[in-house]
Amino acid sequence: MKKILLVAVLAASTLFSADHVIDQKGKTFIPHEITVAVGDTLIFKNSDPFAHNAYTDDEANEFDIGMQSPGTNASVTVKSAGTFSVECAIHPNMLLEVTAK
Amino acid sequence: MIRTLVLSALVATLAITSVSATEDMSKWLRPSEVPQPKNNKLTPERIELGKLLYFDTRLSSSGEVSCATCHHPKRGWTDEKPTAKAVGVEGRVGPRNSPVVLNTAYQNRQFWDGRVRTLEQQALGPIEADVEMNMPLDVLLPKLRNIKGYVDLFEKAYPGEGITEKTLAKAIASFERTVVSTESPFDKYAKGDKHAISDKAKEGFDLFTGKAGCVNCHDGFNFTDGSFHNIGLYDGELQGKELGRYLVKMRAAWYGVMKTPTLRDVAKSFPYFHDGSVKTLEEATAICAGGGRFEHNVKNKSLSIVDRHLTKEEIDKVVAFMHTLTGPDMDLTIPTKFPQ
Ligand SMILES: [Cu+2]
Repeated sequence: MKKILLVAVLAASTLFSADHVIDQKGKTFIPHEITVAVGDTLIFKNSDPFAHNAYTDDEANEFDIGMQSPGTNASVTVKSAGTFSVECAIHPNMLLEVTAK
Repeated sequence: MIRTLVLSALVATLAITSVSATEDMSKWLRPSEVPQPKNNKLTPERIELGKLLYFDTRLSSSGEVSCATCHHPKRGWTDEKPTAKAVGVEGRVGPRNSPVVLNTAYQNRQFWDGRVRTLEQQALGPIEADVEMNMPLDVLLPKLRNIKGYVDLFEKAYPGEGITEKTLAKAIASFERTVVSTESPFDKYAKGDKHAISDKAKEGFDLFTGKAGCVNCHDGFNFTDGSFHNIGLYDGELQGKELGRYLVKMRAAWYGVMKTPTLRDVAKSFPYFHDGSVKTLEEATAICAGGGRFEHNVKNKSLSIVDRHLTKEEIDKVVAFMHTLTGPDMDLTIPTKFPQ
């Protein structure tokens, strides 16, 4: 029963939300601006040979991925509509602007 | 399991593949312009006023300390004082090594812990700090307004704005924006003069951008990417100022992290690290490329601080390269007469 529910939830989320890959490469977010829908997933990929740490202090969409090792992915779901900026806690010159509709 | 091991061996091999010095060198070239905020464009009047304020000891409560006391042009824009011995008013000691002023115009975060963004925000901090100049602005501003020479100079630099917290900060920041690198042997090399640096330094540059991993953080023309790291100088729980950017906000990634300093003119700005605990570039390189002073029990140590297994010869080569980042002193007349 639980399994069926999970499958249903997964199916629903793939039907109604999208994944957006944000690459972290050369100490930049690629792309550095993105428009998404509430409920979409941001997948942060680390293509650099060192760590990154994407986060936002935006109240409605707050997240902190933590130290992310090279070659790994980390996902966050966009919770609320609005525009917010994501920064890297290690490299403050890395900026990503997210507009959620 | 074996597959994982093979894979990580491959990844490790890729990671230490050296970048050849003959590749595109454009990212190492000094920019021709300094960034300026819209509300404080550089003018000769603002720079001159800022310079006078920077060297004027009347900005401290004792009348003996100026910005230049701890950030002096003849001492690599710092003070040659070890560790926490930046001596301010009445011999009080600052908690950190005085950072260099050189190329701060290009930084998006100021101070070791990056607590403010602009030079305007930075300029007033040390004036008011009790371990530095110990001069409250509500005492300093009326004092400056009573010096006729300064009233005239502020009027020329910032017409109609008066002597305020804002114009004081803007003037000092304007002078600091002119403190930028001169042309070093490495710059000549990067522009194509293959004989500007020694073969030893060239090999050092290859190590710097390759095996030694320095470029992970000391990247770009200013040899810093503005990033924050805990390089493992201390183990266990950290106390007070050692907490670094964690004092700005208690974010896990900011535990014990400090800003990556520039390596331009680094041979002049000893001692090294945020606490000035290291005297030589050899020792500093051995720590950074050797996995930190403490290998274990370091909370939030940067993943870039790992043992790169450098030999003593290789460390010497990296240091030889760093010496090529030393340019001649900038053209600067240190004021000896101040507005009356
Ligand atoms: Cu980063």
